[in-house]
Amino acid sequence: MKQGAIAILPLAFGAAIYGFAFGILAAQTGFPWWGVAMMSGAVHAGSSQIVAVEQFSGGSALLGAALAGAALNLRYIGIVASLAEVLQGLPLRFRLLAIHITGDENWALTMAERAKDPAVGAAFLLGSGFVMISVWIASTAFGAVLGASLPDLEQFGLGFAFTAAFIAMARGMWRGHRNTLPWLISFAVTGVLVITGLPKAYAIVCGALCGVTLSLLMRHTRVRER
Amino acid sequence: MTSSHWILIGILAVAAFAIRLTGWIAGNAIRKSRMAPLLEDLPGLIVVSLVAASLAGQSILTWLAAAVALGTAWKTNSVVATMLVGVAAFAGLSLMGR
Repeated sequence: MKQGAIAILPLAFGAAIYGFAFGILAAQTGFPWWGVAMMSGAVHAGSSQIVAVEQFSGGSALLGAALAGAALNLRYIGIVASLAEVLQGLPLRFRLLAIHITGDENWALTMAERAKDPAVGAAFLLGSGFVMISVWIASTAFGAVLGASLPDLEQFGLGFAFTAAFIAMARGMWRGHRNTLPWLISFAVTGVLVITGLPKAYAIVCGALCGVTLSLLMRHTRVRER
Repeated sequence: MTSSHWILIGILAVAAFAIRLTGWIAGNAIRKSRMAPLLEDLPGLIVVSLVAASLAGQSILTWLAAAVALGTAWKTNSVVATMLVGVAAFAGLSLMGR
């Protein structure tokens, strides 16, 4: 568990940057710092919280804002599903805890480390998860405390930090040329759908599903060729 | 904090955990089926779609900064380095564009 907690520290620093940015955004829509901390602990889904609060501040209906945020989290069906093997053998209450503290960063790191060393598993996920959720709660609350007194940081490229982080995570998941076509299709489908006006949340799920379908078809073809 | 703020937190928390539970149940079912390779391919595709969604419709400047970030990610395979260089590139390009 300690191994995971230490290995995640550089990523936790990165997450703190956008936790801080989210705290600022949330404070601007009327959340007190303790409300932000409570949301971060109970929801623990960065992009979901960001979209819900953005929509909330944009004046859309409450339910719409919450569902838009929740829908963006649909990728967690895939993320948690891919942990099936890691979670095997854990007592039920630890499994439930593990899936709650699973975030993009500690999940991606656990999967990457596990690829190198199969001994890396649930303890690593839990250790890194505890650090991530603690940093997430603290940094979002801290952003909310300072946020009300700060100017809009978007102009300094803070929003782009999210995009850069996801680009780096994709790089870590690259498994060679067999990924090329499915990844291009996912990228293109998602991009085109967003441009045509579909909410990002649904575009992401559609894009990922198209890529998965193609990827499965390609595997199927390869198996038949053998 | 108004009741709207409380309700937003409540719905988000319940929905987020329900989605994670669904993933857990789906993962166990898929792992035992012929679709098992799906679990290996899904993570990368989700992250690529996330990147596409945040770049779609953005200015050329943002795409250039993303290209710099991609180059950095490729070389370093580090999230923190990519964030730092990416944001610096974005800020630098924004300044030049003025």
